[in-house]
Amino acid sequence: MAEHALAVVNLGKLFGGLAAVDGVSLNVATGERRVLIGPNGAGKTTLFHCVTGTLKPSSGQVSLFGRDVTRLAEHRRTALGMGRTFQITNVFPDLTLGENLALAIVGTDRRKWVVHRPAETFEEVRRQALEGLARVGLEGRAQLPAKLVSYGERRQLELALALNTGPKVLFLDEPCAGLSPAERQRISQMIADLPRSMTLLMIEHDMDVALGLADRVTVLHRGRVILEGTPQEVRANPQVRDVYFGHA
Amino acid sequence: MDRARLMLLVVALAGAAALPWIGGPFWTGLATQMMIFGLLALSVDLLLGHAGLFSLTHASFFAVSAYTVAILQVRYGWPTLAAAPAGILLGTALAALFGISVRTRGVYFILITIALGYVVWGIAHRWSSFTGGDNGVTNVPFPAVGPLAVTSHTQYYYVVLAAVILCGLGYRVLIRSPFGLGLRGVKASETRMQSLGYRTGLHIYVAFVLSGALASFAGVLYVYYNKFVNPVAASFPVSVEAALMAIVGGTGTIVGPFLGAGVVLGLRNWVSSFVEMHHAIMGAVFIATVLWAPQGLVGIAARVRARLKGRDG
Ligand SMILES: Nc1ncnc2c1ncn2[C@@H]1O[C@H](COP(=O)(O)OP(=O)(O)O)[C@@H](O)[C@H]1O
Ligand SMILES: [Mg+2]
Repeated sequence: MAEHALAVVNLGKLFGGLAAVDGVSLNVATGERRVLIGPNGAGKTTLFHCVTGTLKPSSGQVSLFGRDVTRLAEHRRTALGMGRTFQITNVFPDLTLGENLALAIVGTDRRKWVVHRPAETFEEVRRQALEGLARVGLEGRAQLPAKLVSYGERRQLELALALNTGPKVLFLDEPCAGLSPAERQRISQMIADLPRSMTLLMIEHDMDVALGLADRVTVLHRGRVILEGTPQEVRANPQVRDVYFGHA
Repeated sequence: MDRARLMLLVVALAGAAALPWIGGPFWTGLATQMMIFGLLALSVDLLLGHAGLFSLTHASFFAVSAYTVAILQVRYGWPTLAAAPAGILLGTALAALFGISVRTRGVYFILITIALGYVVWGIAHRWSSFTGGDNGVTNVPFPAVGPLAVTSHTQYYYVVLAAVILCGLGYRVLIRSPFGLGLRGVKASETRMQSLGYRTGLHIYVAFVLSGALASFAGVLYVYYNKFVNPVAASFPVSVEAALMAIVGGTGTIVGPFLGAGVVLGLRNWVSSFVEMHHAIMGAVFIATVLWAPQGLVGIAARVRARLKGRDG
C-alpha cells in the first residue's frame, strides 16, 4: 500500500440530507496523473475539500503515503505534502504577486512566525518568489497587487501558490475554469510540464485537456465513482457518454 | 521613503519636540493623551486593520495594566522598574486568556469581546476593597528609574513621545514581517491560508496577545500621566473610542490611529466645553467616516496627493 501517494477509502460527505460524496474509494500511485471528471454537482470539489482537509468528511478515511490523515487539520496535511488550487480563484487581492508567493513559500516552515524582520529582507524567499512567478509566466509582475492583474493571470497565480508550498501531491480544481482557449492552452502546458515525480489529481471539464494529460481517469456521478480507467477506456464507455457527454 | 515624506517626518518631529514651548501645558497635555490613546488605538488596529478582527475589549488590558501599576506603586511601594513591567505582564496575561475569543469570527467575536470587557469593568467597579471602587486608585506618582525621576507633565510628555516613537518603529517591523504579512493573508482569505500551511487560529491568537501587550503598555503610560485610575478606564466607551480612532484616522496604517486619537480627543475637549453631547458628535463623525472616507484621514491625504500628482504629470 505504501506505494500509493493517496488512498481514499469509502469517503462520504453529507450536506444535510444530500450525500454530495457517497462512498468514494480511490488509490492514486506515486507519480500518477489522475483526472476526475463528472457533470456539474457530481461532488468533485467536495471530494477535494474532504481529502485536503478544507471540509471534514462525514465518513471514510484518507491516507497520504500510507499515513492516515483523516483527522489532521488542513495545515498539517499541507506540511505533509498536499497542495491545492481552488475552483473559485482564492488569492490575496490586496497583496502584491510577490507577497502572495512569499506567503506560500514561508507557510510550511518556521519563518512564518518571524516578527522582528521585514519579509522583504529574506533574500532566499524573494528569489524563490520571483522564480515561482516566472514558472507560471508571471515574470515582471511581482510588484503588482493581485487585484490589478487580469483574471487569467490570477489563475496563473492560483497555480503558483499551490506549487510553492512544496507539494508532493497536487490537487488542481478546474485550473482552466473561465479562461480563453489560448490561456487554457498555456495553463495546461504548464501542468503537463510539471515534474513527473509530483503526483497530480486534477478536476477538469475540458475532455481534450483531461484525456490528454491523464494516466488514469475517474468518473464521478452523483457522489459515486461510476468508472475508473485509462483515457481510452473512458472515452469508449457508453455509460460515460450518457452521463458526461450528455446529449452531445 | 521619498523626500516629501522625509521632510514631513522631520517637521513633525521638530514640532513635537518644540510643542511644550509653543503650545504650553494645555496643548502638551492634549498631545500626551493623543499619543497614549493613539497607542491604544494602534493596538486595536493590529487586529482590525491587519487581521480583520473587531475587538471591543482592549480597554480591559489597558485598565488591568493601569490598575496593576497603580496598586503596586501606591499601596505596596513598588518602584517603577518593577511596577511597570508587572502591569504589562498582567495585561498581557489577560489578553492570553481573552484570546480564546479568536475561536469565533465576525459578529460573534465582537459580541464576545464586548461581554469580556464588561466583566473586567464590573470587577473594577464592584470589587471595591481591592480596586477602590468608583474612586479607583489615586496619588500615582510620576515614574522614576533610580535617580532619574520625572517631575513634571512636560518631562513626561517627552517620555511618552520617545516611547511612542519606539513602539511605532517596532510595530512597523512587525506588520512588515512574515508574521504580519500572514495576518493580512488571514484577513483576505483564511481558507487559502490554511491550505498554504498556516494554523490560522494560532496566528490570530498570537496577534491578539501581542495587541493586548501593546494596549497594556498604553495603560502604563496612561496611569503615570493621569495619576489615578478608576473603572472608566476599563469601560466599554474606551474600547469603542479606540476602535473609532483607528477607523477615523485610517486602519491598517501607523499614523492613522494617532491622527484619529487627535480628532476624537480634540473634538471631545472642544465640544464638551459647551455641550454635553460629545457621544452624539462622535457617532456622527464615525458615520461620516464610514460613508465618505472609509480609509480615514490617511486615505483622504493619499487621495489629495494622488490628485496633486495627477495635475503635475
Ligand atoms: N457547502 C455546501 N453546502 C451544501 N451543499 C453543498 C455545499 N457544497 C456543495 N454542495 C452541493 O454538493 C453537491 C456537489 O457539489 P460540488 O462538489 O461542488 O460538485 P462539482 O465540483 O462536481 O461540480 C452539489 O449538489 C452542491 O450543490
Ligand atoms: Mg467543482
